[in-house]
Amino acid sequence: MKTISFVLNGKKTSIEVDDNETLLGALRERLGITSVKEGCGIGECGTCTVLVDDEPHYSCLTLASKANGRDIKTVEYLSSSGVLHPLQEAFIKSGAVQCGYCTPGMLLCAYSLLLKNADPDARDIKEAISGNLCRCTGYIQIEEAIKNAAEICKCDR
Amino acid sequence: MFIGQDITRVDALDKVLGTAAFAHDLKNNTMLFACVVRSSRPHAMIRKIDASAALALDGVVKVLSHKDIPGENLFGAIKKDQPFLAEGRVRYKGEAILVVVGVTEEIARKASGLVEIEYEDLEYISDPFLSMRSAILIHDGGNLLSHRKVIKGDAGKGFESSDVVVENTYSTTWIDHAYMETEAGIGYTDERGHIVVASSTQNIHYKMKEIARLLAIPPEQVRVVQATTGGGFGGKLDVTVEGYIALAVYHTKRPVVMRYTREESFLGHTKRHPLYIEYKTGAGKDGNLTAVEVNIIGDTGPYISYGETVCLRAAVHATGPYEVPNVLVNSRMFYTNNPVSGAMRGFGVPQLALAHESQLDEIAERIGMDPLDIRMKNALKRGSLTATSQVLHHSAGLLETLKGIEPFWRARRKQGPGSGFGLGCMYYGIGNTGISNPSSCYLTFTPEGRVEMHSGVCDIGQGSDTVLLQILCDALGMEEMGIDLVRGDTDTSLDAGSTSASRQTYISGMAVCNAAQKMREYLEGQGYYSGKPLKDICREAAEKGLPVFKGHFDPPTTAPDPETSQGAPYATYAFATHMTEVHVDEVTGVCKAVKVHAAHDVGRAINVSNVKGQIYGGVAMGVGLALMEEFIPGKTESFDNYYLPTSMDMPEVEAIVVEDREPTGPFGAKGVGEPALIPQAAAIVNAIKDATGVRMRQLPCDIERLKLALEKNKIK
Ligand code: FES
Ligand code: FES
Repeated sequence: MKTISFVLNGKKTSIEVDDNETLLGALRERLGITSVKEGCGIGECGTCTVLVDDEPHYSCLTLASKANGRDIKTVEYLSSSGVLHPLQEAFIKSGAVQCGYCTPGMLLCAYSLLLKNADPDARDIKEAISGNLCRCTGYIQIEEAIKNAAEICKCDR
Repeated sequence: MFIGQDITRVDALDKVLGTAAFAHDLKNNTMLFACVVRSSRPHAMIRKIDASAALALDGVVKVLSHKDIPGENLFGAIKKDQPFLAEGRVRYKGEAILVVVGVTEEIARKASGLVEIEYEDLEYISDPFLSMRSAILIHDGGNLLSHRKVIKGDAGKGFESSDVVVENTYSTTWIDHAYMETEAGIGYTDERGHIVVASSTQNIHYKMKEIARLLAIPPEQVRVVQATTGGGFGGKLDVTVEGYIALAVYHTKRPVVMRYTREESFLGHTKRHPLYIEYKTGAGKDGNLTAVEVNIIGDTGPYISYGETVCLRAAVHATGPYEVPNVLVNSRMFYTNNPVSGAMRGFGVPQLALAHESQLDEIAERIGMDPLDIRMKNALKRGSLTATSQVLHHSAGLLETLKGIEPFWRARRKQGPGSGFGLGCMYYGIGNTGISNPSSCYLTFTPEGRVEMHSGVCDIGQGSDTVLLQILCDALGMEEMGIDLVRGDTDTSLDAGSTSASRQTYISGMAVCNAAQKMREYLEGQGYYSGKPLKDICREAAEKGLPVFKGHFDPPTTAPDPETSQGAPYATYAFATHMTEVHVDEVTGVCKAVKVHAAHDVGRAINVSNVKGQIYGGVAMGVGLALMEEFIPGKTESFDNYYLPTSMDMPEVEAIVVEDREPTGPFGAKGVGEPALIPQAAAIVNAIKDATGVRMRQLPCDIERLKLALEKNKIK
C-alpha cells in the first residue's frame, strides 16, 4: 500500500492504493466514481477512459500509483461548474447516446480533442475516438455531436 | 405533437453526466461476489469435483452446485432444457458447473481457480454435419433440434419453366453481441423476504419466472429490476447472471453482486447461429423469379435457447422480400458441442439475406439486367403474396425504399480500380413468429396531478422509453410531456414481453395506445379536454383511489402450418434497401465500406433521431458481420481476437426514412431495430463482387479470406 495524491476533477485527493492496483479500480472502488466503466479490462475498448493531464488514457491499463502528482479528469469534470458542457448538450441533442456505456469515455476523448484542436475536421474527430468502441451508434451521431460542440465552443471563445 | 419529433431521450442526461446506474454500479462493499466455474471441455462426463481448496480459502462463503438448487435446474426461453449448473455432464466449453461466493471479487475468482474437476471426455460434435451422422447423442431425443419447411406452389415445376437457374452455397459463422457492458447484476432479500435481482437485461418478467422455478418459490416473491443496460442485441434475453445471483442470495441470505469479465462474457452467452445455406434460384429471361429452393443447416450448440425460433424465422424469410410463386425451404437445426447459439439481432434473417441478395445479383448478371431493376420487378408490394402466402394488405414499402435509393444508384460512378457498388434488400416480420406475443402496461395518475406510465419494457439503449412516452402524449392529446415513467420493475409493471424481434415500438406502443384510449375517455368525462386542470381531477379522484387503466395488445398472427409453414406469421413487416460503395485494395485484401444509403420503411418514425441511430448502428454491425467479426470456439476470448468496427471502419451513411403507415401499429409505426442490420452484409458482398469480380460466399470476408479469393481469381 502507498499513499498517492493527485488532482481529481479539480480537487486535491489523496488515497491509499495497492502496488498493482489499476486507476480504474481505484476510481471505482475507492472513490466511487462509477462513471468510469470497465468494458474489457485489457485496453481494447476505451470505456474506462480518463484524462491524465488532459490526455486520454485507458484507466484499466494505468497503475493507480502513476496518477500520483497528476491531474485526473473523469466525465464528472465536464459539468462540475453546474451546467452541462457543450459536448454533453450536443451528445444529448444529436442522439449520440444510446445505451450510454461508452458515453463517458467518448466525451472525455472529445474534450481532450477540443482542447488541442478547436476546429477539428471529420477525420480528426474519427481519429480522436478511434480507440473507443461503441456497439450501438455506429459512431455517426457521436461524431456529429463533437462537430456541433466544437462550433459552439468556438463561438463561446 | 410529440410523434415525428426528435424528442430528447429521457435517459440521455444521466448518461452524459455519468450518473446512470448500470448493474455493476449498484454494487456496494457489503455485497458478496459470486462467480462461475465453467467447463474447460466441450463434451465430457464430470467424474469428480474437488472444491476443498476453494472452500479452505479465507473469505470463501459458499460453493454451490446443482445439488443446491431447490427447484428445477433447467431454464430456456422457448423450452426448459438448459441446466443452470451442469449435472454430471457438460456439453460445451464454458458451461456453468459451480458458483463460488466470496467476500470479495478477488477471493471469489481466486477460489474458482482452485476447484479441481476431473472429466472423462466424450466425442466433440464439432459441426452440424458430424452431428447428423454421429451415433453420439447430445440429448436423448437425437441431434436434430428442429426441422421446418416452407412449401408454396411447386418448386420443381417452377425450375423447369425457368430460363436461368443459379445454385450456390453460403455460410456464416458465430457472431458475438459484444455489447460494451458485460453481464452484471446484484441481488438481495428485501424486508418482505422476497428475492430481488437487478440486472442488465432485455426481459424482466421472463427472468422473474425463471428465478421462481429455480428456487421453487412463487413468482410473486421474486422481483426483477432492469438496471440501466449497456446494450443487448439478443444476448441478454437468456438467463445469464440472474439465476446464479438469486441462488447465491437464497443460500447466503446476503446481498450478492456478479459481473462477467469480457472473457466470461464471450464464453458465457449465446451467439448468432452459424448457418450453412444451399440456395437455388430460378427466373425467366424477363427477370421474374419463378422458383426458390433453400436448404438451411444450422448449428444451435447443445441447448435450444432460441434455436427453434431462428430455424423457423430463417425459413419463413428465406426468399427475401420478393414475390416467388414456387418455394421449397428446408431449415434444420442440429445440436453440437459448440457455444449455445441464440437470439441475435435478426434471428437468422441477416444470414439468409446474404444468400438471397447474392443470388439475385447473379440472376441479374446472367440475364443482363440491372440489380436495382430486378429488385423492383420482384419486390413485394401491397397485395403481394409472401412465401407463406400471406397477403400484404398494407404498409409494404419496399418499392418506396428502392425508389429512395434509385437516384443514387443510377448516378453511381466507380472511383477507379477496387471501387464497387452493391445493393441489399430485406423484409422482416415484426414480433414473434406465428405465436401470441402480447404486451401489457397500465396508466394511472399521481396525487400531484401527473400521468404515470407503468412500463415493463426494457430499454436496452434503443430508446423505447422515449418512444413510448411520445406515443402516450399524443394518444392523450397532451401539450407537454407531463408524464412520470415508472419502468423496468416487475413489482410495478405488467408483462410487456421481451425487447426482441423489433417488437416494442409496435406491440408495446399499441398496448400504450390501448390504455391511453381508456384514460382519455375517463379524462373526457372529467372535463379535462374542456379545460379542467389535471391537478383538480386527480385531487378529487384521490379520495376514491386513483383509477388505473390497463392496456394490452397482441398482434394478430396465425400459427404456421406445421408441414408447409403457410399462414400469416406476423401482423406486419418492415422493409429496407441498402446501397453500399466499397473500396477493395486488391493487393492487401482490405475492403473498406465507403458510403451507405439506407432506406427503411418503418411505417412511421416516432422519433427520427432514434430511427437514424438504429440505422447507423445496424450498418456498423453489418460492416462487422461482413468484414471482420468471427467468434472461434475455444479461441476467441477478447477484443484482441474479436474485431469490432471502430470509427475508422465506418462508412458515411445516409439514412432515408420511408413511412408507409401500418394501420394496426401505433400512429402507423412498425419497427427498425433488426432491419437496420439485416441487408448490410449482403450489400457489401455484392459491392465486393462489383469491385473485384470475386463473389464471396462465406462470411466474414476478412482480409485473409478476401486476399486469398482475389489471388485465386487472378490465377484463373
Ligand atoms: S476497460 Fe479499459 S480499455 Fe476496455
Ligand atoms: S451507446 Fe452503447 S456502446 Fe455506445
